[in-house]
Amino acid sequence: MAPDAPLLAVEDLKVHFAVEGRRYRAVDGVSFAVDRGRTLGVVGESGCGKSVTSLAIMRLVSQPPGIYAGGRIVFGGTDLLALPEGRMRALRGGRIGMIFQEPMTSLNPVYTCGDQIVESLRVHSGLSRRAARARAVELLDLVRLPSPAKRADDYPHQLSGGQRQRVMIALALANSPDLLIADEPTTALDVTIQAQILELMKDLQERTGTAILLITHDLGVVAETCDEIVVMYAGTIVERAPTQALFADPQHPYTIGLMAAVPRIDVEAERLATIEGSVPPPWAELRGCRFAGRCPLADERCRREPPPLRPLATGHDVACWYAPIERRAA
Amino acid sequence: MSVAEIDTTQEEVAPKRRAWWRRLLADRAAALALAALVLIVGAALLAPLIAPYDPFRSSRLVMAPPVWDERGTWAHVLGTDGQGRDMLTRILYGTRITLLIGVVAVVVGGLLGSLLGLVAAFYRRLDPFVMRLVDVMLSFPAILLGLALVAVIGPGIWPVIIALAIATIPDCARIGRSIAVSVMEQEYIEAGRAVGLSNAALFRRYLVRNCISSIMIFISLRFGQVILIGAALSFLGLGARPPTAELGMMAAQGRDFLLFAPHIAVIPSVVIFVIVLAANVAGDALRDVLDPRLRT
Repeated sequence: MAPDAPLLAVEDLKVHFAVEGRRYRAVDGVSFAVDRGRTLGVVGESGCGKSVTSLAIMRLVSQPPGIYAGGRIVFGGTDLLALPEGRMRALRGGRIGMIFQEPMTSLNPVYTCGDQIVESLRVHSGLSRRAARARAVELLDLVRLPSPAKRADDYPHQLSGGQRQRVMIALALANSPDLLIADEPTTALDVTIQAQILELMKDLQERTGTAILLITHDLGVVAETCDEIVVMYAGTIVERAPTQALFADPQHPYTIGLMAAVPRIDVEAERLATIEGSVPPPWAELRGCRFAGRCPLADERCRREPPPLRPLATGHDVACWYAPIERRAA
Repeated sequence: MSVAEIDTTQEEVAPKRRAWWRRLLADRAAALALAALVLIVGAALLAPLIAPYDPFRSSRLVMAPPVWDERGTWAHVLGTDGQGRDMLTRILYGTRITLLIGVVAVVVGGLLGSLLGLVAAFYRRLDPFVMRLVDVMLSFPAILLGLALVAVIGPGIWPVIIALAIATIPDCARIGRSIAVSVMEQEYIEAGRAVGLSNAALFRRYLVRNCISSIMIFISLRFGQVILIGAALSFLGLGARPPTAELGMMAAQGRDFLLFAPHIAVIPSVVIFVIVLAANVAGDALRDVLDPRLRT
């Protein structure tokens, strides 16, 4: 593998679901890359395919009904979609860690937090029970759980949501993964705890050098943590840009709409802006731009031909016939 | 980390491993049921040691009433049956056989059944096949199955045990499956996969461990039913052969004397009733205490 190749490259990934004879195109031609030690944010509203993308990278989309309909997921030089299950299993929790959205339900309720970390350590590194236990306590300390040796003997139901998410992070980081996939890691938490968890992830990334793929619908979260952002809509990428550039100069009407829908403390508004309509159902056969039905700019061409993702500036790609929008308006 | 967060966990830590049996005994009904069960099982196990008479030997006192009757004697505390055999002794030995039938049938049938159910839920591809098999089994009434087996193997307690075990499988498979399906939908199953666990580890440590308490409660509730059906089969003359003592059979023999010596039928029936009731109450209470998800 070339030294400058990205750690993870998703190339034209298509994940479909066959349910009752219909084909749901949950992810339909998505490409992005994550470099070592960097953070990529994937944003979009519910149902846009972000979670399916993250599960697809772990190859956890259940088949059936899921179908990997095309594309490649290249991680550290190997295509994960072509990997035999046994080797894929070694990667899960080993070189790729994952944090889930619901800290309340994503820990096994019948084992102590310590035991779950020990389990993961022993599956991947063959540590002795004692060494694994010591490492588990170390990890709980790393995620700043108070009195980690005691907490290791606690069952998940004895911890608060924030504490459980810390345990999840410790679990995901147990085997020093190269890539950490965080699927809505803060969505289920209080705002104050959210900030702590994000800060913790940032801090751990600096220490361990792991790359992070952060899936979220929260623009505030990506703004604080990501180097680069991918905006997804209805299973496709509509815009991709470095964080600064995206917030300074959003180009896709959907991105602009999303940003306008974020409440701002410095702007007085009677009511929040919304994007009219909702995401087209994934079984809809759309010929043109998938956002056309909700887009204020859409015309005949938008409904007929899907706009390709094309570069506007360095690292800034947009899939819209009208981009660059600001310049056109001027 | 906020102070409040730390405080709540410490409060919750305190009652943690406070011995579960102590909490079990705090429930009055459960304690009573458990005591009854321990007494009955203990007495049945120790039957050869504590029984006052030989269960097969008749005395000259036929149909003697129990001691609380004005004509009763302390020589036969529970009286004697139609052939002059000591009722207490017969009850002790009969409970043994009844419990043996129930325990073996429930354990074998319950294990096989819930395993089938869990496998069906875990490997969704197998689900339709396993469930159709279960449907077929479900359409055989236990009593009919018992009759058929007796016809094939001949009378005795084994055909009854086999029939009861087979009759237990489909219910346990269905319950096991429905519990397992809801567990499989939990996010921690996916999280377990994401940690890189093999199917075997996931099945054992995630699925079975999270289902087991709910399945155990169901199996323990089945225990009461199986004892009842087993007694019914013996009552119909399918199970243990005379002169072996078995509670259901004793009740059947006693019904001929129901009008003038009711104790011969009533006492074994009461013992069956107490076993079934105690098993159900104790099973319920055990679940409440052992299920970590019900712990607060």
